[in-house]
Amino acid sequence: MRKQYLNIEYEVTITPAIEVSSLSKDFAGRTVVDSISFSVIKGEIFGYLGPNGAGKTTTMRILLGLLAPTSGRVRVLDADLARDDAARKKVGVLLENNGLYERLTAEENLRYFARLYGIENPKTRVEELLDFSGLLERSKEPVGNFSTGMKRKLGIARAILHNPEIVFLDEPTKGLDPEAQHMVRELILRLSGSGAMTVFLNSHNLDEVQRICSRVAILHQGKIQALDSVRHLTAGSGRIHFTVTLADPGKGSMARDILSGLDGISDVSLDGDKISMELVSARPHSVVSVLVRGGIEVDEARKEGQSLEEIYLAVMRQGQGDAA
Amino acid sequence: MNEVMVVAEKEIRQLAKSRNVLISAVMFIIIFGAMTGPAVLAGESTPGQTMDQLSFYLILTLGIFAGYLFTAQVFLREKQDGVVETLLCTPLSLRQIWLGKVLGIVIPASLLSYLAAVMVISVGSLAIGITVLPSPPVLFHIIFVIPAFIAAASGLMGFAQLLLGMRENQILNFAIIFGLIFLISFTRELIGPSFRVTWEVVGAALALAVIILFITSRFTRFLSRERIVTTLPD
Repeated sequence: MRKQYLNIEYEVTITPAIEVSSLSKDFAGRTVVDSISFSVIKGEIFGYLGPNGAGKTTTMRILLGLLAPTSGRVRVLDADLARDDAARKKVGVLLENNGLYERLTAEENLRYFARLYGIENPKTRVEELLDFSGLLERSKEPVGNFSTGMKRKLGIARAILHNPEIVFLDEPTKGLDPEAQHMVRELILRLSGSGAMTVFLNSHNLDEVQRICSRVAILHQGKIQALDSVRHLTAGSGRIHFTVTLADPGKGSMARDILSGLDGISDVSLDGDKISMELVSARPHSVVSVLVRGGIEVDEARKEGQSLEEIYLAVMRQGQGDAA
Repeated sequence: MNEVMVVAEKEIRQLAKSRNVLISAVMFIIIFGAMTGPAVLAGESTPGQTMDQLSFYLILTLGIFAGYLFTAQVFLREKQDGVVETLLCTPLSLRQIWLGKVLGIVIPASLLSYLAAVMVISVGSLAIGITVLPSPPVLFHIIFVIPAFIAAASGLMGFAQLLLGMRENQILNFAIIFGLIFLISFTRELIGPSFRVTWEVVGAALALAVIILFITSRFTRFLSRERIVTTLPD
């Protein structure tokens, strides 16, 4: 990427951890992933969103070298994970299945994977991660006795056991209680915070993605419908959700009628003393001015950008419209 | 080789914790081992020859049966549970995974076949009232050829279980069970009373096991991560 500062042009090197170009995957004549392209920069937390059947898992499996693309090119840490056994040492994975052996104890599970990844001094690392997942006291129990949340935490510990450069997480907080969800989110932020670990996060939890991901791709029917930073997506849509609280609720209908007639405002709705609307092109201060000029006193005005959930739903609706 | 041993060790540890499977295998060996008494008494050859014949095919079949039970646990169960997908993301090659699992089956199944040998020899000796020990070729067969056959059979079954979908695997399992029951029931009739277990026979059996194992090991190149992942149950 070329940048300019004080008339000096310089080159900024952004190393991609994942590069996907024109990737497609067909199963028995059905296109599951349709010519998608994106890249994930080293150290970033990248959210991959989409409804069930959108092609998220298929994309993740292709990235991990578990499925071969029908066409297109995929590189993870500049390697093809399907062919490069050694490159897989740099990758951590938590799939929908926790990847744990139910008859083995928590400690045996972690020790097994530690040995497969060739970790030096696995005992210390295993104890460290058992402690992290809050399972140190139950480390000698078979995993089959654990709750869903405990298995998930142990699965995360297994995924980061070997300090991978990139970690693929498929719904990491699924089945966890709110406290554990918070802990996992903090952990993901900490892992990525130092820039040492890239996180590819497959998730349905839009609130979680909005909180921790720097960039997202929204997938629908195998195609990427939106790809941008969370900040841009939520702030740059041009629509602002705006709510005013009236000093006199009796003037609510009058205020609604005034606002409904204005350009650049849509979806005006009255709920008691509150009027909500979507500002498409109108500015918040002009809305307040119009109301005041009309003799309507405003107690409070509040503007909100669109949440990722609203963006996601809008993208889904648009995708369905395009498909129809 | 180190990674192969890590996989093998894990499989043995996991099998040791699979109480139901172990009990089934031991019970099967005890029941069929105990049935050798009448067979030795009913033999048309000398007790030594009858014992050799029984040891040759019965212990082999029981060893393969134990291997079959363990293969379902080591290969198929991991596929059913979906854990294999995570294993495929580790730095191990498909051949290392396959080999580690086969080794993890061969060691406990061979130990059970030795238990079967003790059962067959003890019960047979008790039935005829004298201690009849197997001949040197049969002893060699028990110690070396049977583990090689268990490796070949479990390697082939494991390969098929990784390759096939769950429905095809169910059909394959039925076929294997019927095949093993057929072997136990009719091998003696098929080989006839004049059959002698010689060094040539044992050598040919060993060669056959090694060839099957070699061919299966070559077959693993037809395995792909995609094939395994796309045949996982939903």
